[in-house]
Amino acid sequence: MFLGGVALCIGLAGAGLAAAHPHVFVDTGFEVDIDAEGRVAGIWINWTYDDLFSLIIIEDRGLDPDFDGVLTAAELAGLQGWDMQWDPGYPGDTYALQGGVALALSGPSEWSAAYADARISTRHYRAFAAPVVIGAAPLVVQVYDPGFYTAYAITAGVVIRGGRNCAAEVFEPDRAAADQILQDAMAEQAGSADVEMAFPAVGAAYAEEARISCAAGS
Amino acid sequence: MSDIPASGGRFAVRLALGLGLVVAVGLGLIWALGGYQALLDWVLVEQRRAQSTLAAALRALRGGAPGAMAGLMVVCFSYGVLHAAGPGHGKVLIGGYGLAQRVRLGPLAAVALAASLAQAAAAVLLVYGFFAVLGWTRARTEGVAEQVMVPLGTLAVMGVGLWLCGRGVLRLWRGRPEVGAHAHVHGPECGNAHGPSPEQINQIGGARDVALLIAGIALRPCTGALFLLILTWQMGIALAGVAGTFAMGLGTASVTIAVAGLSVWAREGLLANLSGARVARVLPWLEVLAGALVVMIALGMLQQGR
Repeated sequence: MFLGGVALCIGLAGAGLAAAHPHVFVDTGFEVDIDAEGRVAGIWINWTYDDLFSLIIIEDRGLDPDFDGVLTAAELAGLQGWDMQWDPGYPGDTYALQGGVALALSGPSEWSAAYADARISTRHYRAFAAPVVIGAAPLVVQVYDPGFYTAYAITAGVVIRGGRNCAAEVFEPDRAAADQILQDAMAEQAGSADVEMAFPAVGAAYAEEARISCAAGS
Repeated sequence: MSDIPASGGRFAVRLALGLGLVVAVGLGLIWALGGYQALLDWVLVEQRRAQSTLAAALRALRGGAPGAMAGLMVVCFSYGVLHAAGPGHGKVLIGGYGLAQRVRLGPLAAVALAASLAQAAAAVLLVYGFFAVLGWTRARTEGVAEQVMVPLGTLAVMGVGLWLCGRGVLRLWRGRPEVGAHAHVHGPECGNAHGPSPEQINQIGGARDVALLIAGIALRPCTGALFLLILTWQMGIALAGVAGTFAMGLGTASVTIAVAGLSVWAREGLLANLSGARVARVLPWLEVLAGALVVMIALGMLQQGR
């Protein structure tokens, strides 16, 4: 009986530790231009915000006062770039890797915003420091908020233009593995005196990723 | 011969109570073995759906659609249930307290309800005080919630845990519970060891406990409620937002009251199957364990900062 109680306690404790939860949901899509040599200069990122957060942004800015779900040209102009004013050092929630090595991405450019079906969509471009060659190792693009305030899902498609026999696949995270990483990070922090420490940056483990690869040869 | 029906009745009561412990331990095990992640995944999907429905309900209400107010209340109530079932911290406090202290279900459920409504009231006061009256921006108002109220609430949660834990440790340290009971007879919960009257054991342990429990829950406003209050203020349907916030509170209360029931059932199930002397020995351990658990979870919340 007593052991049962202990088991219950441990279960509840685990529950409390893993309880971070998002408030903003974003459908994400990527666009990648690949040249004939398999080189990629950068990534286009499309974000569509959920209905509630879109409504919050619209109301914050006093747009669409007649609630007809359509913005005037002037209102739309005012919406451009609203989510592109990044604090210095903010990584922008998009991460690129190749062969397990992180690839540096520039700040956002060429952004645009649209409003349709009561949801705000934005698009922006981020360049690699030097063109990346998709060869033996696929280009991996992840999108996540390390603090998990925003939940990103790659549900808006990955568009590939150019290249030879190139294709993209979207992978779901390995939940069990991610949970283990979170528990380990929590256990590590629990030993330190600094309880004000931020939520461990384990978002990557929970991130969906798009893997873009090109068939060898030809 | 007259003993037989009586002991048969007692056996049935013990069995029924014991079942509560089995149910609680079973749930705990499912929880620990990955069930919680499954629940969180489900909550995530449902929360996303609820957010879309909430936005649609607000737009319908603003547009004067018939039945929109009732629709908004239903969405808000469901949002509250989801929030409490997933990340909400109220169930930890109420459940922990219910396991640790020999409280009756009625008073504990009343505290759970009062705390949820107080949490709604705190969100209303926060938004109307800073955002509506002082004209702060949405980001700044949310900042107060995240950086001031949430840590304070977490400290109150930790206070409940330390209080339970400390009380249990003190009782263990004093050795035989009888001694402890004589040493501080002012607390109604201290009478347990003697086999006290039901009136003595069944009270919530004083106004201080009630205040800590309510503060621990109420001071951590739900971001969803802040979103709702700010939006409805901006959209000119402020009263609907206040009503919706309290509907969310009733939703969270429905979960914390269920947890209150489960914790009382499980605790009495454990105690009903022990002899009187053992009950006295186990009770302080229950306090220590449940208190330590609440402290651990509060530490986890401090680290997450939300």
